[in-house]
Amino acid sequence: MKIDLERIEKLAVLRLDESEKESIAKDLEEIISYFENLKEVDTTGVEPMVYGEKIELVLREDVVKDGLTIKDLERLRELFGDGYFKVKRIIGE
Amino acid sequence: MEITELGIAEVVSKIKSKELKAKEVVESYLKNIDKLDKDIQAFLSVSSDYAVKKAEEIDESDNKVGKLLGVPIAIKDNISVKDFELTAGSKILKGYIAPYDATVTEKIKNEGAIIIGKTNLDEFAMGSSTENSAFFKTKNPVNLEYVPGGSSGGSAASVRAKEALVALGSDTGGSVRQPASFCGVVGLKPTYGRVSRYGLVAFGSSLDVIGPIGRSVADVARLLSVISGFDPHDSTTANVPTGNFEEYLTGDIKGKRIGVIKEIRDFSIQEEISDAFSSALKVFENNGVEIVEISLPHLKYALSVYYLIAPSEASANLARYDGIRYGFEGSGENLRDFYEDSRTKGFGKEVKRRILIGTFALSEGYYDEYYLKASKVRRLIFEEFKKAFDDCDAILTPTTPTTAFKFGAKATPLEMYLSDVFTIPVNLAYLPAVSVPFGYDKTGLPIGLQVIGKWFSEGELLNFAYVLEEESNV
Repeated sequence: MKIDLERIEKLAVLRLDESEKESIAKDLEEIISYFENLKEVDTTGVEPMVYGEKIELVLREDVVKDGLTIKDLERLRELFGDGYFKVKRIIGE
Repeated sequence: MEITELGIAEVVSKIKSKELKAKEVVESYLKNIDKLDKDIQAFLSVSSDYAVKKAEEIDESDNKVGKLLGVPIAIKDNISVKDFELTAGSKILKGYIAPYDATVTEKIKNEGAIIIGKTNLDEFAMGSSTENSAFFKTKNPVNLEYVPGGSSGGSAASVRAKEALVALGSDTGGSVRQPASFCGVVGLKPTYGRVSRYGLVAFGSSLDVIGPIGRSVADVARLLSVISGFDPHDSTTANVPTGNFEEYLTGDIKGKRIGVIKEIRDFSIQEEISDAFSSALKVFENNGVEIVEISLPHLKYALSVYYLIAPSEASANLARYDGIRYGFEGSGENLRDFYEDSRTKGFGKEVKRRILIGTFALSEGYYDEYYLKASKVRRLIFEEFKKAFDDCDAILTPTTPTTAFKFGAKATPLEMYLSDVFTIPVNLAYLPAVSVPFGYDKTGLPIGLQVIGKWFSEGELLNFAYVLEEESNV
């Protein structure tokens, strides 16, 4: 099966370079062709399964607790400073 | 007897009785790391100073309590440990320091465990050989020319090499059991919901589970007792009794029924593994177990189902890595270019491949045919397991179709995916399963067998593994 790699790259917010593009396109086609065997399974009336059998709504007490401090956050990222995340200046949009 | 030969129960009791110092235990393991890890490369980071300091605190304290008191433990580097760097094996997180403890980390710390280091993994736990780590390849301690398996390859290798007493890994499609099998150690994938995922880097949220790895079933049982339980921070954890799983290890399995999957004959399996499988069935029979044949006709679709569902969930979970909030950042003329550049340069090839598969499976025009279809077949697999467990108490399979392979041996991604064919169905059905070492092939590589149990039957499950362990030690 042929897949529109450019469309998928755009949706996934990825941009493959030319050398990667060819080999990944080949891999994806091979993998997606492998999935074709699912078509022979009759799933009429079958509910999709996501989170196990029992789905219970779990509630917890709304307790006020300490969150992360600025000090904790500072170590998350080198470019944190003055209480803000510093990001590069983005030109355009 | 060498200190590193002792199991958890002995180490803890000797530290409590002051027969042994926690510092001696930690230093014995650190010595092994020093000696061996330049070749094995199981660790991304070793926390020697932290570990020695923690051990000294235990030795100085009069209050010697905790189920894991002084136990050196290795943690897969996709599990948060406060103030430790967390990379998930990816460049995109490089430099990220976890600001909080995962629930499992908090639980093991509360029981006195000492974190000795963070172990290598396939990037974002996507892989079966640890070859996909963005940093380096971990070697199999049994034979350095072979892969340790993956994605928890560093954790399994560290335990096998006695660089840690026990370790934590995570299992989305076999990532605890397959490396445990390749390295000849015990690895457990608990029931989905048994162990909290809070603080685990998300990959496939309906499949991910944190699991223990050890050199004995008893060590794995002890570690599971500590990490399991309901957690308000993870609403998918189950509010079921946990208790002490070591109490189940009686060796008495008389009158139980073990299921053998009829369709397993359709898979190609290395001869020595088939032989080990047959002798394990004999062992069970000799222990008064009835062998019953069960049928899982949809088993052959498990790999397709998994490689649609896991990448779909991953493509959503990994959307957060945009170059702004974590580690690596790219460059670009506008915001979209910046995001694209960060993700393109920050992620490795296998991660990109899986994000693209998942994005495809969820995209308009393909969603019904791929993601939704897979979720429906997942239910059929689940229902078949449920029916099978009417006739048996546990199911025996090989953990993997072959023993460990050499570096670079898997030429295509699909070939690599096929090495998880027996472990994947277990995650799809939310079941618990354990891989236990059972002999070696003629190259000297460990063989692992997998026992799959009913939901939340880890105690009983580990008792089956315990019987196999006792027998293979003879």
